[in-house]
Amino acid sequence: MDIFEAIKGRRSVRQYKPDSVPDELIERILDAARWAPSAGNIQPWKFIVIKDKNRLELVRKVSPGYLGEAPLAILVCSDKEREHKIGGAMGRDYLSVADCSMAVENMVLTAYALGLGTCIVKSFSHIAVKEILEIPEGIEPELLVVTGYPAHKPAPPTRIPFREMFYLNKYGEKFRSSVE
Amino acid sequence: MMKLSAQRPTGNDYLFEIAIFLATSAQGCLNEPPLYGPFRLLDALSRLADFPEYATGLNSDTFLKEIKAIVDEKKFLVMYDVDGFKKAIDGIVEKFAKEAKKRYLTK
Repeated sequence: MDIFEAIKGRRSVRQYKPDSVPDELIERILDAARWAPSAGNIQPWKFIVIKDKNRLELVRKVSPGYLGEAPLAILVCSDKEREHKIGGAMGRDYLSVADCSMAVENMVLTAYALGLGTCIVKSFSHIAVKEILEIPEGIEPELLVVTGYPAHKPAPPTRIPFREMFYLNKYGEKFRSSVE
Repeated sequence: MMKLSAQRPTGNDYLFEIAIFLATSAQGCLNEPPLYGPFRLLDALSRLADFPEYATGLNSDTFLKEIKAIVDEKKFLVMYDVDGFKKAIDGIVEKFAKEAKKRYLTK
């Protein structure tokens, strides 16, 4: 699939079919994640693939933003200690979040190209998720990627017009484009 | 509601699910975008409408089922149409007011 087709076609999916996601597809999503850029190539991320129905259901229960009954979720965590050791306070407080976000973008685009739907969720209880998944101190859950086969294709949401977002050379200078 | 085991969830299971949803939503609302507050409350309302399916001694409420259908259709407006989301809440409250009158003031 063309990369631009994936970027424009991907949607946040909140209704899923019950079909489980094959391991080979999960592996491709994870492989895409680890090839994401990261500040100083620190690669501060840890990924927890949650397939076990009981544990997944507990995670769903403590995640108000987890809508729909997807059969799979991948929790992307940052290793704050490693990030701090190499990247200092900026690494720990900002770059680790940015790095995990870039990994997540790779994941959701790859999933879309494989025919899967995803929804990136931040609305979960960090305390509860750490308890349920037995995550040690120093490892911080950042984003939950809810994944499964979509039961519907959401309509594309509106976008802020091009002219209101992009400038040329300096802030406020119009970037002329044929794109609306 | 997904099941943790092959057994059908009990009323207490469902009550616990709603309770944990409310607790974690309260925690989330401390830092989330303000509009997520009404969104979570609507979601809780939708979940509450299913309670009679699991609890003994409660009857399914046709009105609440109707409200649930509206909530589930409209709640995601919060993501892309805030005015539409607010109008949907107004409409739901109006329906509740009319239903309350019908239930409690007609005699």
